[in-house]
Amino acid sequence: MTDPRPPTLWTRRDVQTRSGWALLSASLFAGFGAFVRLLFPRVRSEPPTKVVLGRPEDFAVGEVSERFKKSHRLIVVREALGFYALRSVCTHLGCVPAWSAAQDKFKCPCHGSGFHRDGVNFEGPAPRPLERLALALDADGNLVADTAVVLRSERGEWARDDAFVRYPKEGRP
Amino acid sequence: MEPLWRILSQPDNIPIALMVPLFAGLLGFWWRTARRNDALLAQGGEAAVRSAMDGAVPEGTPDPRVHTWPYLLRIELIAALVVTVVLLVWSIVIDAPLEQLADAARTPNPSKAPWYFLGLQELLVYFDPWIAGVLLPVLIIFGLSVIPYVDVNPAGSGFHAWRQRRFAVAVFLFGFVGLWLGLILVGTFCRGPGWNWFWPWEAWDRARAVPMATRNWADVFGISSSSGASAFGALTVLGWYGLGLVAWWRLRHRPLVARLGTSRFAVVAFLLLTMLSVPLKMALRLGLSVKYVWTTPWFNV
Amino acid sequence: MSDAEATGQPGEAPGLVREVVKSALRVENVDTPKNRVLAVAHTVWLHLHPSKVPRHAVRFSFTWGAGGIAFYLFLITVVTGVALMFVYRPTPEHAWLDMKRLDFDVPFGMVNRNMHRWAAHAMVIVVWVHLLRVFLTGSYKAPRQFNWVVGVGLLTLTMLLSFTGYLLPWDQLSMWAVTVGTNMAAAAPVVGHEGPFAAPGVTAANDARALLLGGPTVGGNALLRFYILHCVALPLALGLGCILHFWRVRRDGGISGPAAPKGGA
Repeated sequence: MTDPRPPTLWTRRDVQTRSGWALLSASLFAGFGAFVRLLFPRVRSEPPTKVVLGRPEDFAVGEVSERFKKSHRLIVVREALGFYALRSVCTHLGCVPAWSAAQDKFKCPCHGSGFHRDGVNFEGPAPRPLERLALALDADGNLVADTAVVLRSERGEWARDDAFVRYPKEGRP
Repeated sequence: MEPLWRILSQPDNIPIALMVPLFAGLLGFWWRTARRNDALLAQGGEAAVRSAMDGAVPEGTPDPRVHTWPYLLRIELIAALVVTVVLLVWSIVIDAPLEQLADAARTPNPSKAPWYFLGLQELLVYFDPWIAGVLLPVLIIFGLSVIPYVDVNPAGSGFHAWRQRRFAVAVFLFGFVGLWLGLILVGTFCRGPGWNWFWPWEAWDRARAVPMATRNWADVFGISSSSGASAFGALTVLGWYGLGLVAWWRLRHRPLVARLGTSRFAVVAFLLLTMLSVPLKMALRLGLSVKYVWTTPWFNV
Repeated sequence: MSDAEATGQPGEAPGLVREVVKSALRVENVDTPKNRVLAVAHTVWLHLHPSKVPRHAVRFSFTWGAGGIAFYLFLITVVTGVALMFVYRPTPEHAWLDMKRLDFDVPFGMVNRNMHRWAAHAMVIVVWVHLLRVFLTGSYKAPRQFNWVVGVGLLTLTMLLSFTGYLLPWDQLSMWAVTVGTNMAAAAPVVGHEGPFAAPGVTAANDARALLLGGPTVGGNALLRFYILHCVALPLALGLGCILHFWRVRRDGGISGPAAPKGGA
């Protein structure tokens, strides 16, 4: 017995069944997508990112200041020629490295990463140097750090002007 | 021995103190039973093992099975009661710790994960986080899941035995006891401030400075250019997994390997070589201070 | 008109107590071999068991009792955990103080918290023991392959439950274990912003770690997310997984064992 109808790829029933399943899966997929999207809210409330650190004279030459570590997780370092700010977040897994003046290095308590005072990693599992934060002198002469602007050494961002604030300004090498 | 006692007496570490004799006892018991069953198998096949496991069946019993009610249910009830009593006493005698309030600006030193994850934390010393924290756990779960599909040996199902499945049991015990439990013990007892190595009998010296300077695998052979080091690392890693191909070529006529087929053999070889690479990398790090075997601009292994 | 009159049968209706007991149990409370079978088969809580089991299945020397004890420990964590939920509020302002309240103020709060903690620790160990036993007896072999995979899933869920529970006390241990753990998610390939081969557009604000934490650091959103995972999503998944696991034990031929001697079952 031969089928008198012309051969078709899908019968009408096939089309209806498949579009039904397609619609159902698409709805489920969309619902799941909506749930995932819900987990990423549009607005994230975060504290202000500009931190006023005070007068440059407040920091002694050679000082590694942990004054803002508790409140903003940042370290201010004053060298003979100026300032830079380090994020006190280990680049390995995010613990807080502790400054050891005796050994002249930052040491992470979690997995033993060590960083020189300029933030460069030299021991342990950390894959890259500590991150610096943008630093500037404002109109009143105060040092201001911006925790939203993160400068990474391996991207060459430490060469930027805000990675190192010269102070005093006339003290050029 | 005072540091050892201090670690052991932390309430959260009591499970470890229990775990060591528990697993030692269970493995000892398994070994005795497995050897007995091996002997029984040689004499009378699985029927002999079954008879020994079932114990004495009264004469003239038409069905050798027993009623669930009461023979199984009473055991379950008693087990539940015993567990409850033990837990209750444990909970009355020992209080769960509560540390100071969470402080995002101060990391305790040392900062240890819960004991059941200390093996993974120990791996962080030797591997980058994406390997130790993501890739290896995923491979552990994947590797456990494929065991029934790659173990094509039908013998030794349903009873403790050794002789019929020596390879499978040895590999599993190496991974589970040697690596997983072993690294947990290392992380618990041998790691102190700064995640430095302290023997259990050594006092924790917080100021101890341990040189942790490292080099890469290529540096060991004096290869200094970054592309050369990258190529050398790639060759090393590919060569390591290439051992699987060599093994296939050498063993392909063995009945077991022929039965496995290529796809199963590839999965087994990959997982086995990956598992063995973990202690190997640890040895390279501890012995030769090697940080990375293979460096590339995108990732380091 | 009573039933006896309607059916024309003589005699009194059964005693009241006996009728109530039978209607509740669906089985006459009389110890006969038939009723022993019915007691299991006709009771929703027990019918996951077969009516009869091989003799070796009731011996600790074979099973080590680990699977059953692991499930019982799970039940203990559920009961004690629900009790703790009546006192605990998952916010950074309250969480740690509520723990202190449990320890020093709420009657039986401390012992309840202890039991939850120690049962969870014991559950991790016992699940490992179960894994070891099932491997060493070769019980994953055909036809039980897939139930082993289900078991690996339950093992993973047990570890995830422990990990999510770790954040809830909101103490230093919680903070740093979870900081380290979730930073690994940031290092995951493709979906983590610090991982190798991060997909285009993946940043610290939308990667796998942000999904877990609901923010840039371990804060209030992270606590809420871990709380929901720990108290709702993961226990539900574990419970459903257990149902599947137990059902498969039955369907795959009951507890494993060596081939029975001739004439046996």
